[in-house]
Amino acid sequence: MGAKDKILIKSSTGNLHLVRDFVEQKAAELGIDQKIISQIIISVDEACTNVIKHTHKYNDSNDIEVETVFRNNEFAVILRYTGEAFDPTKKETPDMKEYFKKFKVGGLGIPIMKKSMDKIEFKHTKPNKNSLTLIKVI
Amino acid sequence: MDEFTITEKKTDDLVILYLNGFLDAHTSSVLEKKFEELLSKKLYKVIINFAGLSYISSAGLGVFMAYIETLRSNSGDIKLSNMSDKIYNIFDMLGFPILFNIVRDESEAVTLFNTNA
Repeated sequence: MGAKDKILIKSSTGNLHLVRDFVEQKAAELGIDQKIISQIIISVDEACTNVIKHTHKYNDSNDIEVETVFRNNEFAVILRYTGEAFDPTKKETPDMKEYFKKFKVGGLGIPIMKKSMDKIEFKHTKPNKNSLTLIKVI
Repeated sequence: MDEFTITEKKTDDLVILYLNGFLDAHTSSVLEKKFEELLSKKLYKVIINFAGLSYISSAGLGVFMAYIETLRSNSGDIKLSNMSDKIYNIFDMLGFPILFNIVRDESEAVTLFNTNA
């Protein structure tokens, strides 16, 4: 048994605040510490931003479903969306010293997700279904 | 609706930007435009006051990365002040204090600019 809920948004950066507000509300209902809620919120924001930008290429005729599940002391946020497979867990984390030395821009969403969450799971089902699960142990 | 706004204070060649609201992939273009405007006016010394900022994601961090080199190569800088713990944690998570001066309050940032001048 666990609290369960979901929202569906159009794939647009203009809707990121809706996702943040939804996740915040769900996590707060469970009495999760504010600092941990902040880590979850930014991770979900970064994950959605990547889907909007890279998978959907800003085409807001696409949708992203965001579901939260709390079970066995794990708070999970599951994103479901269609599009080409891209597994963020396979992406190499940049060397930040090198990053700053070369004044690089971008590519920090996945490192933020990895640092903020305990587990990240990606699943692609042919032809084009994706689910990305961000898990925080509470 | 979450909003993001910038107010500005200018003293000689030093600009202080006060960020308010939520800085994400949707609103970061507002900050980009502001930096472009400063560059077009040859203003390279910038203090960012974060007191009114409730949220930042990597899109916001990216704006500072995009302009820091140009500003520094023109004898300027971006100095960051008045961050809440929540905002500082995001900068700190990826090591941004290595590259950026992050100070407690605006006056410290002003002093840093004056002593380096």
